Amino acid sequence: MSNPWPLMVYVTFALGGLAIYFLMPRTDRSTRGAGAIFGVAALAAAMVLCASRFLGTEGGNVFFYLSAVVAVASAVKVITHEKPVYSALYFVLTVLAIAPLLIIQHAEFLAVALVIIYAGAILVTYVFVIMLAQQGGASIYDRRARQPFVAVFGGFFTMALIAGQMTVLPEEHVVQGTLASASAERATELGNTAMIGGVMMTDYLVAFEIAGVLLLVAMVGAIAMSRKRVPTEVVRASAKPPGQIGREVQPF
Amino acid sequence: MNDIAPYIILGALLFAIGVVGFLSRRNLIVIFLSTELMLQGVVVNLVAMGRLHGQLNGQIFALFLFVIAAVEAGLALGLVVLLFRRKGTLDADRWSSMWG
Repeated sequence: MSNPWPLMVYVTFALGGLAIYFLMPRTDRSTRGAGAIFGVAALAAAMVLCASRFLGTEGGNVFFYLSAVVAVASAVKVITHEKPVYSALYFVLTVLAIAPLLIIQHAEFLAVALVIIYAGAILVTYVFVIMLAQQGGASIYDRRARQPFVAVFGGFFTMALIAGQMTVLPEEHVVQGTLASASAERATELGNTAMIGGVMMTDYLVAFEIAGVLLLVAMVGAIAMSRKRVPTEVVRASAKPPGQIGREVQPF
Repeated sequence: MNDIAPYIILGALLFAIGVVGFLSRRNLIVIFLSTELMLQGVVVNLVAMGRLHGQLNGQIFALFLFVIAAVEAGLALGLVVLLFRRKGTLDADRWSSMWG
């Protein structure tokens, strides 16, 4: 293979996978240091990769690096933190770091919608449920991950292959847009929000209506589900206090 | 032409982290948080590819993705509350009665 780019992508993803594997919650915490070292190495490799592909100083490179590092680091904390409340809060940080990336790409409406919908609405729902259902402190099932090596291998192997091969596609495959409303002069004249509204209300009108119906159905379903009474299963008899284990003799 | 390789790599990293969380965490709430993480990676990729092609379709798709994410969060969290009421725990391994 003459082009070293895919190989570099694979190495980056391998480093990232090792970092995640060592950082996943487990009973001994001694692997955290190795995970942090691998994580810093993977982030550095990813930054070198990105720096080799940016043309000139287009589009606020400094902000891309800042936001991307914050987004990836907090995403790692989301899946490795032992307490679900902290996972949810780190997910807010990920969303807030991705919003600048959308602004850099001139998707201002989408960035604002992302912050309002995710950080405002969805995360509040998550935190409510966590407050409702989570007992105090980290439970045993939060402190031990299930099969972290298989999960890391599956996820990172697949995504490394896809990312490595997608980023070396020849540029003749790119078809320039035919939507007149997306042209550059209209963008400066109208702004991103008006252009999205125009495309949404003409080309995607049916899909827009279906999305509204879907939201209505989901609301009805959520209300119906939350009003349903479920029987509580007694899964296990409560454990005896330590002094009484083995001392009881059942009468014949 | 803008080169969108950095955005594709970032989206792939976020998606891979979400996959790992989805497969290996045992808390139901964290599992659904991981799916939201995967959707974030997809949003980054959609917007970057829409910009590459000079179209707004990517951003429109991302907006519909927000709709799906909101629907999924509402329904999935309702299910999580139901499951918690039944077993009194958020451990996904407690629902493995179909292992045979």
